[in-house]
Amino acid sequence: MKYYLKLGFVLLIITVIASGILAYINTITQPIIERNQQIAQENARKEVLPAAISFEEVTGDPTYFIGIDSDDNIVGYTFVASLYGYSSNVETMVGINPEMVIEKIKIISQSETPGLGANCEKPEFQAQFSGKQKSDMKVNKDGGAIVSLTGATITTRTITNSIKTALNKLDIPIENTAEEVE
Amino acid sequence: MEFAGKILFMAVMAIFVQNFVLMRFLGLCPYIGVSKKLDSALGMGMAVIFVMTMASTFTWLIQTYLLVPLHIEFLQTIAFILTIASLVQLVEMVIQKTAPALYKSLGVFLPLITTNCAVLGVAILNIQSEYNFIFAILNGLFAGIGFTLVLVLMAGIRERLDRAELPASMKGMPIAMIVAGCMALAFLGFSGLKF
Amino acid sequence: MAWLKEFTKGFIKENPVFVMALGLCPTLAVSSSVINAIGMGLAATFVLVFSNMFISLIKNLIPSKIRIPAYIVVIASFVTIVDMVMHAYLPAIHKSLGLFIPLIVVNCIILGRAEAFASKNNVFLSILDGLGMGLGFTLALVVIGSIREILGAGQFLGMNVLPATYKPMLVAILAPGAFIVMGLLMSLMNLTKKK
Repeated sequence: MKYYLKLGFVLLIITVIASGILAYINTITQPIIERNQQIAQENARKEVLPAAISFEEVTGDPTYFIGIDSDDNIVGYTFVASLYGYSSNVETMVGINPEMVIEKIKIISQSETPGLGANCEKPEFQAQFSGKQKSDMKVNKDGGAIVSLTGATITTRTITNSIKTALNKLDIPIENTAEEVE
Repeated sequence: MEFAGKILFMAVMAIFVQNFVLMRFLGLCPYIGVSKKLDSALGMGMAVIFVMTMASTFTWLIQTYLLVPLHIEFLQTIAFILTIASLVQLVEMVIQKTAPALYKSLGVFLPLITTNCAVLGVAILNIQSEYNFIFAILNGLFAGIGFTLVLVLMAGIRERLDRAELPASMKGMPIAMIVAGCMALAFLGFSGLKF
Repeated sequence: MAWLKEFTKGFIKENPVFVMALGLCPTLAVSSSVINAIGMGLAATFVLVFSNMFISLIKNLIPSKIRIPAYIVVIASFVTIVDMVMHAYLPAIHKSLGLFIPLIVVNCIILGRAEAFASKNNVFLSILDGLGMGLGFTLALVVIGSIREILGAGQFLGMNVLPATYKPMLVAILAPGAFIVMGLLMSLMNLTKKK
């Protein structure tokens, strides 16, 4: 019995030391990871809504940002649409103008199948979303306006549906903020 | 009804479309190593289904009620691998005591499962996909079934391959790899399934 | 010159992937492009070198009954370090390797080297062994990655290397291509060994 206690004790010590070292490294890397993510988000926001020079965060479901230009006018909104696709969570940064028409989208996170679903990162695919509205958010196979990626209908449908859902949810909050500012 | 549909969708995804071995490349070592005989493949498969379901259950609980509340998510890898290792050990002891016949057929495979990356893989994927408790368990179960399915299929093919005339350099591992490639090609067809 | 042999044996003669068929899961999963192959190879090399060094250092302190769990904790810690550091400084590669970074824990090469080499040899030789095996693993990954990327995308490290008239064989990047390329390479290794 004593022998087994000793075994457990040795293992415990090793685990505690390991956890301690990891905790220390975590305190160094965690802020860098968070800052990287913030910078990436900020850049993506600027890319999908180039007219805006600053952004104001509005927390909610989903959280969105109001894009403001140099004359303090609201030029649009950005939000992240996210849904589980074929093999990963696909996150899309979407920029819309005040009339709820999509300015531009950018896929910010996905690990779909290389050569198929991962092609959603290609600019040609993303460009087709520009100028579309909520009513257009349907894949061509389902009778909509979004041309599906070859061999990756699930990924295309995921992106399209995630944007549509987010737009549906945002409809009311955005109208409210627009009125408040006026 | 919607719930049943979701479960069916998940089962088809985990077993066929996103098969752990052929599409996600998890658990290849036992897939190649234990697929020479049909009955040992079946034994290994059963052991993996069991351990994967158990591992999904326990790692989900540990993540949700221990790691997240204490903000020590960075210990996930260590916590999960230790959970799986102790689980395998525990299962081995319990089976040995309570069901010697089962132990005889599964026993030899159990220690191998600790280093089967499919088990750790499904545990991490459950967390990454943000499944709830029920779905995490089911995902473990279905992933295990998918693993067993291709393992048994492969064993069936390899038993016949033994008698085939092959160039000497292709014997053993190389031809097993190519057969796996052909199976993966067939499974790729499932991704065209429409729901 | 015994130490030189410990270093170079991992490249060809005891190459962990082609000859010993270890660590197949990450090999096939992340070799769809050369940059992923290099990232994975170096991450695994780092873990191998440090876990070998550490285990060799503490081998006399650990009772043999619990050596496997102890090794797993040591390996899992270094894997978590790699995971965190890559997440902070190489976010792009970290994202595309995804699940396979934590899965380095169950990579049979690492536990295999710990058990077969580091637990029996001194620190210096263990480091060399880890470095050699790690670089051998990286080499194998890069070879497979190059073939798959060139055939499947017409690119090498993201640059177009084949004329525009070449229509990429998409299947080489997809799962079946991984198995088939691997099978052919293993058979090629068998052929050269015979001579």
